[in-house]
Amino acid sequence: MRDVQSHRLDAAGLVDRARPLGFRFDGRAYEGFLGDTLASALLANGVRLVGRSFKYHRPRGIVTAGPEEPNALVALREGARREPNSKATAVELFDGLSARSQNRWPSLAFDAGAVNGLLAPLLVAGFYYKTFKWPSGFWERVYEPAIRRAAGLGRSSGLPDPDSYEGAYAFCDLLVIGAGPAGLAAALAAGRAGARVILCEEDFALGGRLLCERDAVDGRPAAAWAARAVAELATLPGVTLMARTAVFGAYDGGTFGAVEKVSDHLAVPDPGRPRQRLWRIAARRSVLAAGAIERPLVFPGNDRPGVMMAAASRSYVNRFGVLPGRRVAVLTATDDGWRAAFDLAERGARIEAVIDPRPAGPPALEERARRLGARLLRGGRVAGTHGRLGLTGVTVAAAGGRTERLPVDLLVMSGGYNPNLALTTHLGARPAWSEEIAAFVPGGLPPGMSVAGAARGTLSLGAALREGHAAGREAAEACGLGGCAGEAPRADDEAAGLAASWPVAGARKAFVDFQHDVTVADVALAHREGFRSVELLKRYTTLGMATDQGKLSNLNGHALMAGLLGRPIPEVGTTAARAPTVPVAIGALAGHARGRHFKPTRLTAGHALAAERGATFVEAGQWLRPQWFAAPGEADWLATVTREVRAVREAVGICDVSTLGKIDVQGPDAGAFLDRVYVNGFSGLPVGRARYGVMLREDGFVLDDGTAARLAPDHFVVSTTTANAARVMKHLTYCAQVLWPEADVQLASVTEAWAQYAVAGPRARRLLEALLGAAADVSDAALPFMGAREFEWAGVPVRLFRLSFSGELAYEIAVPAAYGDALGRALLAAGAFLGVAPYGSEALGVLRIEKGHVAGNEISGTTTAGDLGLGRLMSRKKDFVGRALAGRPGLVDPDRLRLVGLRPLDPAGRLSGGAHLLAPGAAATTANDLGYVTSAAFSPSLGRWIALALLRRGPERIGEHLRAVDLLRGTDVPVEVCPPVFVDPEGVRLHA
Amino acid sequence: MPEAASMPGTSRPGTSRPGTPSPGAAAEASLRPVPAFGGLAASSPDGRLVVREREGLGLATVTARRGRGGDLAEVLRASRGLVLRPGPTVSRAGDLALVGTGPETWFAVGAGGGWRFSRALAATLAGLAAVADQSSGYGVLRLSGPAVRAVLAKGVPVDLHPSAFAAGDAAVTLAGHVGIVLWRAEDRADGEEAFDVAVFRSYAESFRHWLFASAAEFGLADGPAPGPGTAGAVSRPA
Amino acid sequence: MRIACPFCGSRDLREFSFLGDAGAAGAGLPGAGPGAGPGAGAEAGADAGPGAGPDADAGARAEAVYLRDNPAGRHRGLWYHEAGCRSWLAVTRDTRTHAIFAVELAREGAR
Repeated sequence: MRDVQSHRLDAAGLVDRARPLGFRFDGRAYEGFLGDTLASALLANGVRLVGRSFKYHRPRGIVTAGPEEPNALVALREGARREPNSKATAVELFDGLSARSQNRWPSLAFDAGAVNGLLAPLLVAGFYYKTFKWPSGFWERVYEPAIRRAAGLGRSSGLPDPDSYEGAYAFCDLLVIGAGPAGLAAALAAGRAGARVILCEEDFALGGRLLCERDAVDGRPAAAWAARAVAELATLPGVTLMARTAVFGAYDGGTFGAVEKVSDHLAVPDPGRPRQRLWRIAARRSVLAAGAIERPLVFPGNDRPGVMMAAASRSYVNRFGVLPGRRVAVLTATDDGWRAAFDLAERGARIEAVIDPRPAGPPALEERARRLGARLLRGGRVAGTHGRLGLTGVTVAAAGGRTERLPVDLLVMSGGYNPNLALTTHLGARPAWSEEIAAFVPGGLPPGMSVAGAARGTLSLGAALREGHAAGREAAEACGLGGCAGEAPRADDEAAGLAASWPVAGARKAFVDFQHDVTVADVALAHREGFRSVELLKRYTTLGMATDQGKLSNLNGHALMAGLLGRPIPEVGTTAARAPTVPVAIGALAGHARGRHFKPTRLTAGHALAAERGATFVEAGQWLRPQWFAAPGEADWLATVTREVRAVREAVGICDVSTLGKIDVQGPDAGAFLDRVYVNGFSGLPVGRARYGVMLREDGFVLDDGTAARLAPDHFVVSTTTANAARVMKHLTYCAQVLWPEADVQLASVTEAWAQYAVAGPRARRLLEALLGAAADVSDAALPFMGAREFEWAGVPVRLFRLSFSGELAYEIAVPAAYGDALGRALLAAGAFLGVAPYGSEALGVLRIEKGHVAGNEISGTTTAGDLGLGRLMSRKKDFVGRALAGRPGLVDPDRLRLVGLRPLDPAGRLSGGAHLLAPGAAATTANDLGYVTSAAFSPSLGRWIALALLRRGPERIGEHLRAVDLLRGTDVPVEVCPPVFVDPEGVRLHA
Repeated sequence: MPEAASMPGTSRPGTSRPGTPSPGAAAEASLRPVPAFGGLAASSPDGRLVVREREGLGLATVTARRGRGGDLAEVLRASRGLVLRPGPTVSRAGDLALVGTGPETWFAVGAGGGWRFSRALAATLAGLAAVADQSSGYGVLRLSGPAVRAVLAKGVPVDLHPSAFAAGDAAVTLAGHVGIVLWRAEDRADGEEAFDVAVFRSYAESFRHWLFASAAEFGLADGPAPGPGTAGAVSRPA
Repeated sequence: MRIACPFCGSRDLREFSFLGDAGAAGAGLPGAGPGAGPGAGAEAGADAGPGAGPDADAGARAEAVYLRDNPAGRHRGLWYHEAGCRSWLAVTRDTRTHAIFAVELAREGAR
């Protein structure tokens, strides 16, 4: 059974009374209407207690009617979709919504944690630092778990998020942030002038305060005018209206971040629709019309449920048709706050008193209040509030000090307005202090931004509309659009009557920061203990560090500190606001880039074939490469890899090497260009030949290695390692465009255009003969080691290189990638009679270790060509990138770590990558470190483990006995230093 | 460590008996090309987004030799009737389109011919430009329909509004984390906008995931089975 | 941040990568810079240009590689439009405000 909506008005408001929505709060069923927030629906049902506070577990209610809410935080939804710390004031009600209060046990009304309130004297500012200092071991085991249980807010579900999120880009002439009076006026003016306008509004309804106040615009009720304005905007072709979209950050170049809550107002997103969408908006101009936030007053017991902002009370009455209290006291330091008395009285509330600490004010307001039967306490204050779980009365003190208790269930307060200026400061500008409205207003602005309305400190409706209109018109003009912007909307210029009313030290249980339970006493303590700058105050007391980021609390806290210091507020300053201004879910930032799709996955043309053949794949950068092809009955990967290696050494294997980078280098200067980027010469390379080359970085260390083949006098194809393909392309374009812009050389990445297989093993030639038939002569005479040929076969162009990474007779054959799958199948078919086996990257690694070829483990960015035994390649007859710095003393020091081979003295000994090399008997200390193992493998050819290593003065130590010590794996293996080439050091096989 | 002899499929010298190659094994067979997107064709139920792979295109990167851009333009005009427009735009003549992808650099698109297209173009432009065949290097999708810009906006950081990206405009940019070449194709017969997107072949699966995730709200349904699959176990690097 | 690529137009920062001070590029590297492209068809033994001795250049190279300027204020830096037209750009900007004053193709700026 559902409760009746005890506090819902019969008329008034913008909710749809024909559309009831059922929802649950703490398990109990209620009903609200379409157009409600969770907060307005709870208030409509007379629910005032909605949560417990962070530290003291004090009962808390609904303070605001917007996203600045500090208290009414709930856990929304159930199960994997549970979202903690949702602001009830910003949650759009939907049918079936379920919410739970937080930070209470066992129940909201009886919370055992409230005992913390009795400990309040201990839990003051800085209590962590003072109370839990010793014994030190207690912190992790006792204090932290206890504090974490007792304090804190909501808890996440801990389950994978079942919803999807996405990003999107948008572009416009003008971005209008906020769809209140100034924002609507700006969008209308610019849209009518022909501008592309995006209007973002955090709320689900467009209109801002126009929906909440009983003003008139152009002679119509404000909400009706807003509806007409929105209807007109919807007809303008260049205007995009984005409700439920909060702009959270301003970035360089007119870029803004915004989060659109696409489906948060639904129980479950519609099929295919994301939960939220992260927008990156590039705008030539922007108008900030984000309004202002009313400032609380600080007095004893100001956090009790039933104490509410005055403007919020007007929102509930006027927008939601909810009377938040029936007997009301109004505490206001502004003329604006008096309006709450009138609006609430209009809807049937009894106004018990209006308390205004200012000694005098407009007589017209007082007269009107008197007619309501309200008592007026000029120069008065609130000395205390009463009620265990919600307000039942307030003690007021008149100007003379006489106190009196009034029975009220609602106390509304108004302490002035803080403009929503955070977006003006994200690029470094600081706010400026306005004595006129006693608040910070925008100081400098990001390029292209203007501010209109309350966000600028303009608190009269008429002026806000005029400012918005002017800002929209000027933005359109700045974008070169000359259409007619129309007339500015007209409304009264009623003054808000703002005056400073700052908290003073001494009040008990007077809260400055509701969400983090920071009181006047905490700020005073920070002052006494010397944490006086606003930055230190923030960190010592946690003022402004809660999820509301101090939107309500900061200025009061800083003003209090300023008073204690006897200095003006602008001198004390304010903390810097940074993006995001509203919480943004990590999921929204990730978008579709989740799980397996966190980064792109690249597949070779031979992927499907490899998968068919049972490949296990391994990630190599973005690529998936076959790691090995397990055969039935093989005990483990080592058995598989050993078989694959033997197949290559003894018969023939094929390996997809398409992931190696391929760069097409053309032009009359191509050869000379390569002379400059490789340490060795290429301009003298004959057509039809390939050469191994090493590139250095500018600092003299090795960048990459690979082969380059000359296909024509002005045409080379350069190969790179898989990992460095993009880096080398970037480096070569840098050399071509920046270092030698006069060179007539053209570069193109052709990695993707060709599928390439290595065909390696003593039977490789026979396989190719069988495959290619008459299309190509692959004899040693026609295609010797390091030869390169282009020809056509089976209707496709083929590039055939006689290259060997394995040390065997080997080729690399390339066809256009569309034919890569077919090539792989043809190779396996043609080689079946030779026992051909596909091999993966693991066997490739073993083969190259056996042959002493360096790879990424050795080309690690810390090694020189000399370190890797490649120093002889470095030409002395030409200059090249990296040459000068490669000659620095530190890079030619004979003491450097240099490449060697290792083998365990015990043939059964096992080596591991990363093991450090030590002399026999030396302690495993950094001082004794002689080097480390870079690559280790079981060598099927030698029947034992072998390794490559970087060893201090390595080549001079050939034959020495050392130890390979792996402290992580707990091994200590005696090894002999040997030359790095373990198989066929004479190179007989590859020249076969 | 198991003995090699126990491993099936292991071929050992001296023990295996290689036969002779079967006559003409594969040598003269023509090879079957696999389109980068496996011949993808898909549509949302209401036609708001239509996706179709353009198969068999001839694709090439064309970079003018130093200082020969003018001569190159003249040869294209004379031999193909193609007037080369500057900047990131598409110049078309008959079956040939040149998409401006960089200073003095173009992405040439031929309606057919594959690698032979590139070879012919290289012959035409000999001495004036470097031509590298990319017919296999990219897959090209034609995306069209009233939702096409809304879908592209979910990953392409370029303003595609007609006032900023007119018919014939082109861009080299990103879609999500995948690099693309994008150009406005001729509008569909029903007047709806159409875009061509060229994606490096190896990224086709990733692009496809991004596209279908981004178009899910428009109900884009999968077409024929994809080409290169993603089957197979993946081991994580240790 | 957005950079107005001379070829592609205004593009988001994510398409670019930054290298460093444009003034230091190629400093001390013989043959680099204005009018010093590698001669066509030169064999490996070709002279690398005037003052080609590596020793004489090491100091200048080390400065260019390790001691690049990073001023607070106006700065001309090299950017690579990696996800776009693959042009190297010389971008003059204020490192404090990220205001961009000029963007040119590095290839042309070097002439």
